[in-house]
Amino acid sequence: MPRSRGITDRRSRIRAFGLRTRLLAAFLLVAAVSAGTTSALTYREARNALLKTTQDTAVATFREQVQQTGFGLPIQGEGLEEVLRDLARKGKPRPWVVFAEYGSLRASSGENPVSTVITPQLRRAAQANPYGGFERVVKDGVPYLTIAMPTVFRTGPYSTLPSGLVLYAVMRMTDEQINVDALLTAARDGALPGLAVALVPGLIAARSVLRPVRELRRAASSMGSGRLDTRIAVRGNDELADLAATFNESASHLEDSVNELREAEARARRFASDVSHELRTPLAGMLAVTEVLDEDADHLDADTARAVRLVSAETGKLAVLVEDLMEISRFDARAAELNADEVDVAEAIRKTLQNRHWHEDDRVHAELPAGIRARLDPRRFDVVIANLVGNALRHGGAPVTVGLRTGERPKGTPVLITEVTDRGPGIRPESIPYIFDRFYKADAARTRSAGSGLGLAITQENVRLHGGTIRAGNRPDGGAVFTVEIPLDTGEATA
Amino acid sequence: MSRTRVAALAVAVASVPLLLAGCGIQETDPIEAGGPATVEAFYNRDDDMMLFFRTPDGGLNPVLRTVRPSAGFGGDYVESDPGTTPGPPSTEKTVLALLAGPREEDRAAGLTTALPPARPGTTVTVKTTPGGTVTTGLPFPLKALNTTARRQLTCTIAYSQAADGQAVVKLTGQDGASSSDTCGLAP
Repeated sequence: MPRSRGITDRRSRIRAFGLRTRLLAAFLLVAAVSAGTTSALTYREARNALLKTTQDTAVATFREQVQQTGFGLPIQGEGLEEVLRDLARKGKPRPWVVFAEYGSLRASSGENPVSTVITPQLRRAAQANPYGGFERVVKDGVPYLTIAMPTVFRTGPYSTLPSGLVLYAVMRMTDEQINVDALLTAARDGALPGLAVALVPGLIAARSVLRPVRELRRAASSMGSGRLDTRIAVRGNDELADLAATFNESASHLEDSVNELREAEARARRFASDVSHELRTPLAGMLAVTEVLDEDADHLDADTARAVRLVSAETGKLAVLVEDLMEISRFDARAAELNADEVDVAEAIRKTLQNRHWHEDDRVHAELPAGIRARLDPRRFDVVIANLVGNALRHGGAPVTVGLRTGERPKGTPVLITEVTDRGPGIRPESIPYIFDRFYKADAARTRSAGSGLGLAITQENVRLHGGTIRAGNRPDGGAVFTVEIPLDTGEATA
Repeated sequence: MSRTRVAALAVAVASVPLLLAGCGIQETDPIEAGGPATVEAFYNRDDDMMLFFRTPDGGLNPVLRTVRPSAGFGGDYVESDPGTTPGPPSTEKTVLALLAGPREEDRAAGLTTALPPARPGTTVTVKTTPGGTVTTGLPFPLKALNTTARRQLTCTIAYSQAADGQAVVKLTGQDGASSSDTCGLAP
């Protein structure tokens, strides 16, 4: 069934990109952005504060220590390293390596007189402007703090002059790196649980939206299957509650309209039933009279006799029509009852043909395998077969064949299949959908027919009452075929 | 907006904080942090001459020359130059010392001079005008001197005249050419 598969496909696709997924994604995104931004900003501020403290302490300490030293000018190479080593020991927060540059003199407190970490930019800045400065350098993955400290000396009480000596301090920032890494870990570990926590309100919000939506869907499908009194509990005061209230209102209106329609239909059917009941009594009288007139027709003059016979025939047809109308009314009022009995189907059909004197009629053939038993209402099954065969004889062409066999529906239910085929011109394809409608005339030109126009409708109702189906169609080699399928309730028990 | 574009936007928004933060310790440019360190250079205007020599990178470095020990310093008695008078060494003597060129210890530190060597017996005349301008007559033509040489002379004369080195120095050469300048080394 392609239609129902299409619906399930659409549903599963809706689930994949469903409201829940989208709401959760939105919540997670918001949480990720806010947690990420918060921890990133916190991390950055904390890191910058940490580094700033270290740098400011180091620069201030270095300047203070350098200011406690004295040099003769020009500065001499000897003894300079002693001074630098003394400075290096007093490094704060940690010992550092001190380098001195003066003219062409290069000295340091370490092993190499010239540092590989100090950048030319820092050197240039220190020589160009007599200001202290620092630069963070990452070399081979190790962060260093390099401080440049140009020196000046007093030439008078208020004047100073650059001495030409620039001192540099180089300090590894390994402790700071450890602290910064710890900050980063803390920021990350703070943000991830935040994401997990955001899942909870996300799920709750999704639930609060999805539950009413699910209820609405259930209610809609319940209404679609005919339970018009379905209502939704309106909870809260939000848009979904409004939707639920609107749904209830619409359902109530719909229920009212449908009830009105049903009542009108019931009234119409009751009217038809009443009319046919009311007609029966006068008709019975008329039938009795026309029978008498019929018998006496031979003694009347020719014109009167023809008129009498016509009235008699039409009265008979009218009686059949009224009977059929009453039968249809019983079906409409659901007053028709199934008096099922286990019968030999072949025998039942044969009896039907005999009662109509069709068994000696060579226009009707029966192919009835023996031994097929089913639970049927014999009277109604008789009506079905008689109507189909009569219909075939009237509208189709001889020979009419009644076939009987058992089969299985696609679901595996065993069914009794009765086929009535004829050799006539068949049914026009455009008529097939309406062939079982009441008073439907397959041939528009034939306004009057021998039947009441209700025969096939009554046949269909009878088959339905058995839980079966009836189909009309054309055989490939010409001729109409009516197929009746009735579930074999007792098939399994007898087999 | 299509779903893909929404997703791309979301990813971009989510990655902003990461871009903002960076990780670990980042490199920086050189950052200025406070003034220079003031060291003790044992400069005494009364006893020391300050001369300016050229450094290897083209700048000027001050060098101190003690002309006589300060009185009562450690009790050592050094025979003083009988021609000297109390007070700062005269500008003429200072300029002559500059023209004599760097000594051994100056050259050890890579200091050189851009000035021509002075012939023995040359003299320098220094005249101070009330406006604060120091006019100095040089024993060689001025146009033979490059900028560094002129700055050496200007700074040496300026700091010899005043402790703050703010004096305007006018140099006059044997060729009659002259130029005026200030030292401008003070921070």
